[in-house]
Amino acid sequence: MYAAELVGVTKRFGPVLANDGIDLAVARGEVHAVVGENGAGKSTLMSILYGLHRPDAGEVRRDGTRIALRSPADAIRHGLGMVHQRFRLFPGLTVAENIVIGAEPVRRGRLDRAAANEAVAALSERYGLRADPSALVGGLPVGVRQRVEILRALYRHAEVLILDEPTAVLTPGETDRLFEVLRTVAATGVSILLVTHKLAEVLAVGDRVTVLRQGRVTGRFATSETDADELVNAMIGRSLAPSAPRRARPPEGDPLLEVRDLTVRDADGVARLSGVSFAVRPGEIVGLAGVAGSGQRELVDSVTGLRGAVPGVFLAGTPVRAGRDPRVAYVPEDRHGRGTAPDMSVAENVLMGAQRDLASRWSLPRAAVRARARDLVDRFSISAASVDVPIGTLSGGNAQKAVLARELTRPSQVVVAEEPTQGVDVGVRERVHDLLRTARDEGAAILLQSSELTELRDLADRILVLYEGRVVAEFPGDAPETDIGRAMTGATG
Amino acid sequence: MSAPVVARRVVASAPVVAVAGALLLTTLVMLVVGVDPTLAYPALVRGALLDGNLEYTVAAFVPTLGMALAFALPLRAGEFNLGGDGQLAMGGVTAAAVALLVPLPPGVAVVLPLAFGALAGGLVAVVAAPLSTRLGIPAIVSTLLVSAPAVSLASYLVRFPLAEPNTGLAQTPALPEAAHLPALGGSGYLTIGLPLIVVLTALWLYANGRTVLGYEIRATGRNREFARYGGVGVDRVAALALAGGGAFAGLAGALIVLGPPHRFVDGALTAPGYTFTAVAAVLLAGARPVVVPLAVALLTFLQVGGQGMEREAGVPSQLTQIVQGLIIVIVAVLATLRARRAR
Repeated sequence: MYAAELVGVTKRFGPVLANDGIDLAVARGEVHAVVGENGAGKSTLMSILYGLHRPDAGEVRRDGTRIALRSPADAIRHGLGMVHQRFRLFPGLTVAENIVIGAEPVRRGRLDRAAANEAVAALSERYGLRADPSALVGGLPVGVRQRVEILRALYRHAEVLILDEPTAVLTPGETDRLFEVLRTVAATGVSILLVTHKLAEVLAVGDRVTVLRQGRVTGRFATSETDADELVNAMIGRSLAPSAPRRARPPEGDPLLEVRDLTVRDADGVARLSGVSFAVRPGEIVGLAGVAGSGQRELVDSVTGLRGAVPGVFLAGTPVRAGRDPRVAYVPEDRHGRGTAPDMSVAENVLMGAQRDLASRWSLPRAAVRARARDLVDRFSISAASVDVPIGTLSGGNAQKAVLARELTRPSQVVVAEEPTQGVDVGVRERVHDLLRTARDEGAAILLQSSELTELRDLADRILVLYEGRVVAEFPGDAPETDIGRAMTGATG
Repeated sequence: MSAPVVARRVVASAPVVAVAGALLLTTLVMLVVGVDPTLAYPALVRGALLDGNLEYTVAAFVPTLGMALAFALPLRAGEFNLGGDGQLAMGGVTAAAVALLVPLPPGVAVVLPLAFGALAGGLVAVVAAPLSTRLGIPAIVSTLLVSAPAVSLASYLVRFPLAEPNTGLAQTPALPEAAHLPALGGSGYLTIGLPLIVVLTALWLYANGRTVLGYEIRATGRNREFARYGGVGVDRVAALALAGGGAFAGLAGALIVLGPPHRFVDGALTAPGYTFTAVAAVLLAGARPVVVPLAVALLTFLQVGGQGMEREAGVPSQLTQIVQGLIIVIVAVLATLRARRAR
């Protein structure tokens, strides 16, 4: 008997068949990985299991009995718990308060703080998840916040725990600790469903793995009997080409992007960047590593002009211009919040930045806007029903290709890419990397910020490590991951 | 798409469902309060369209459409302009002041007050822009806050400095003949205000869909961070959209004052509730700018017809306000349902 089972689950969104007769079974105490490209149907499947969507056909079973899930509340009642990619925590409340919320111990009509702290302490002890019950969540590092999310699910007696891309926000060290935690929790009999697209993680922590492609199951493996190649095959239906060789010729010429002694303070006067200096030459990719919140956002916003005409940033020798310097192509991390306007059409999204070039004196001809968009869609092999559909209806990978199409066709010599492959599948990732390499070979100066060290090591000629707003280390592109990872935590030497 | 499919989509669209639903509920209300719908509805139609009332309905359509643009234009940039009344009143009083105080040759005597009216409305609206971009007060609040003092200022001006001497009435003297809007044909109500507002609406629709500024306004409204990232000066665009909206409101005020009875009467601009009717019409039209004039026509019809219904069938004209209110409620409910179904 399985702890949780999805049997013949089918879910359709309009013309899109997101899940097509999927069977998935999780045994008690097992860590079960669900992998697949973006748009393969992982999120839909997990949303069905957590009561966020209802399947068109098929059923959900717990311990062998069919259950009806109309909402997450139903799911929680049936012992299902979910840790979302974006945490749903109250920064102004303590760890204990965040954990007991919704099922608080009450004494005389008021929250019983002592009981809450005690319950949380006991829970931490039992599962080996260390967290100070009385600490404010707002001040905690990301890894600990995630632990709070897990504890919250366990506090509500979750016996099946779903984690959606849990490592996306973690440093390598934090990821290792998370995996230890998952093993401990699983050892107590809790089943864990781990949704991810990072194969190394699957092999490191999973017991079994189910692979999805285009809404169907394309493989079921025991991790002890498979390897990355086999999984990639099941995920994308072919093998990956070996990664392109690093270019031999060293970059030369005057820097296209230069940052000199850059210091940036936030509204409260706290320094977010202190004395940052570096240069990127034509034909060079400089990687930017660091745990989230080390100053990456401020650095990128300074370089692109979005922070105004910050002193200390020079593009081809002249100071950066305020309000998005047109000399910089910029692929932002937040695809929906910044990179696109999801409910505007594909054509209108790829138009941004070129609208004045296409316009005649009194008009912006729609025909020209569409023609240009069709051209980009073809050249960057973006799959979209038409250029008139809202870009938000495209899969993450295709939306990202659209962003790259727009930015890389700008007449810019400097490219800033932030997490360019976050949330995209293996095939698109390859394509994105090729595009960046091509831009580099054509003489662009590229600043690449990524939380994936593999990506930085694949692409970058040099890697800078940011920690608390300072560049604390610089490595050659092929430096060992462990060295870079250590520098990211601020450890010196 | 085949014709039946198009027809089905139109019938199932939010505005049609909202209007039909609102009329149905209103009919129920009529039955409950003991009004005979078979008397009331014909009276409504007569009051709006027949017996020479059509002319009056069209005359009321002009300022309502102006106010609809005043709300719809900033809305495209994501700004809610709820200060229409203040912009309308200041536009009207400014137009009256220019017409009364500056002796002008024919032609210019009409154009200049209209231009200054629009300018005044735009200025009142644009006060809200720095409040929202610098101080973070949303336009929906700041426009409303600025509106009340603007209405009061207009009221003060018309009661004291601009008041008609020796009458004690809160109105300006009649404007000089040269400043009267030329009538259309031999009509007592219709002026060149109608073609003017129609042309301006067409211009707005064109600018919205097919110019760089229209594109940048829409991008700002759909996702401000995306527009800012793309290099659009979003604060400037938002301020411009608010100013443009205010200018339409100010122009609507000027058109009222320069039309019959050719003077600024205190309260006459705000009392008919053009602003609210216009907001309702824009919300009814949803995200489709082309539908705005149609929605304005429909609500004006109800508004004017309601007064006819009151005169003729003794049905309180408030009933048509119930229709209007219900339309908005149903539009909101449909929008929420759709958002929920999209999950």
